[in-house]
Amino acid sequence: MRTALVEADGLGMRYATGRLALDGASLSVAAGELLVILGHNGCGKSTLLKCIAGLLRPTAGQVLVAGRDITSLSGRALSEARMAMAMVFQQARLVGRRSVLANVVCGTLGRHRNVTSALGILPRTERQHAMECLEEVGLAGFATQRAGTLSGGQAQRASIARALAQRPAALLADEPVASLDPEASEEVMRLLRRISSSDGLGVICVLHQPELARRYADRILGMRQGRVMFDDTPGAIADRQMQALYEGVVIQGLAA
Amino acid sequence: MNATVKVRVERERASRGGLMTPGRWGGSALGFLGLFVFLVVLAQSAMVVQARPQDLITGAHGMADILRRAMPPDFSKLQSELWPALETVDIAFFGTTVAVLLAVPLAIMAAHNTSPGRPFYAAARSLIALCRAVPDLVWALLFVTAVGLGPFPGALAVSVHSVGMLGRLFAEVIEDMDMGPVEALTMTGANRLQVFSHAVVPSVLPSLLGIALYRLDENIRSSLVLGFVGAGGLGFELLTAMNLFQYRTVSLLLVLTFVIVILTERMSAALRRRIG
Repeated sequence: MRTALVEADGLGMRYATGRLALDGASLSVAAGELLVILGHNGCGKSTLLKCIAGLLRPTAGQVLVAGRDITSLSGRALSEARMAMAMVFQQARLVGRRSVLANVVCGTLGRHRNVTSALGILPRTERQHAMECLEEVGLAGFATQRAGTLSGGQAQRASIARALAQRPAALLADEPVASLDPEASEEVMRLLRRISSSDGLGVICVLHQPELARRYADRILGMRQGRVMFDDTPGAIADRQMQALYEGVVIQGLAA
Repeated sequence: MNATVKVRVERERASRGGLMTPGRWGGSALGFLGLFVFLVVLAQSAMVVQARPQDLITGAHGMADILRRAMPPDFSKLQSELWPALETVDIAFFGTTVAVLLAVPLAIMAAHNTSPGRPFYAAARSLIALCRAVPDLVWALLFVTAVGLGPFPGALAVSVHSVGMLGRLFAEVIEDMDMGPVEALTMTGANRLQVFSHAVVPSVLPSLLGIALYRLDENIRSSLVLGFVGAGGLGFELLTAMNLFQYRTVSLLLVLTFVIVILTERMSAALRRRIG
């Protein structure tokens, strides 16, 4: 078995409201592996991702990034440990008025904490690297264009390029295709697949489409009410198991 | 299919009619009340301002006399009035620039999404409110007393009042900003300053520039008036000429004022269009 890049062990998360969002959830992702997390709304999959990303501090368990527990870190140490992970969101979150290239170069700011970059000047030395990241996502021709002019799918790919510019070991994607049309969704999923297979990144991707997960994931992790229901290769997961993630919820929703 | 559409249209029409009938009655009763209140308020304001339209008619003769004595404008004074004209423009320009420099950090503290903390927020908001609440003319009176006659107290007044106006508008722009890029850049490991200069600044800069240009335009008009209380510029010249009954100089000054106001309005509008 390959060594895990990112590992979550027995994560529990109880919000201040008393709601238990995560209940002993564990996962691991190795280099070159694409892990998809599935589950209904509110099952805890976004909470899980945020705990791994170090945006939320879990109330139990630990998150190991390259063998180091990040749940006990804070401040500068946390943000440095976090730099091994890049994140992509549902929205591209680009600065619309800046060029696509400038947005991608912004992904490297974490390793250029100095006066000039604090004054809004982008590190020149990173332009080449940023161009390579843009080529990787197929947007090299759009480098000088304003980010605000990109279509939804292009913008999402540009945000993936920004994440790659960070030179992460793992990529966390929180519903990256939720606001894209089917064609753009396929394109983004193909890109994530390639990033993990060819570049050797560990990718954790939260999705809503079991069908996309089946076609692109190495492993699928099914979640329900904060618990991990299954964690296996797509071939080993029966349709019935997949449906069970969503089924009870409708009845519960009606009862509520 | 057709039948269901017809049913729906009829149902909509019926429900709209049903809503409208009581609404129309209620609306008109309220309308009458509103109109009555408005007329009462208007009548009392006419009484308080001692509005006497007949005075305008009897005063027409005096107006015509002043106009005749003001014509033609005394263009021989043009050269000596160019310096005060420059003073007026510079009071506004200097005052606005200083105000922008002060308003930006204040606005950052006064916007709830970028404020470093509750006490900063409260302090910045109160300072902005104070600067804004006191009119620039009053600030000018205060500064003339403090630093003496001349354009400098005018520039101070313009900048203090503008800090309040700009601070509030800037803070609103920052609060309406899309926070997505801010969160995304924070995740890449960028520090607070970097996030600010690379995500916040590029998103809000065009709006801030537009507001600042509009403010400059307003400030040129208000710096014309500030001279009346001794804060230099064309206003001061206007006051002097009025007091000396030099109406032809007054008309020249009004022509100059008109030209300056129109020019700056046009320029600021053109610049704002280019930014947008």
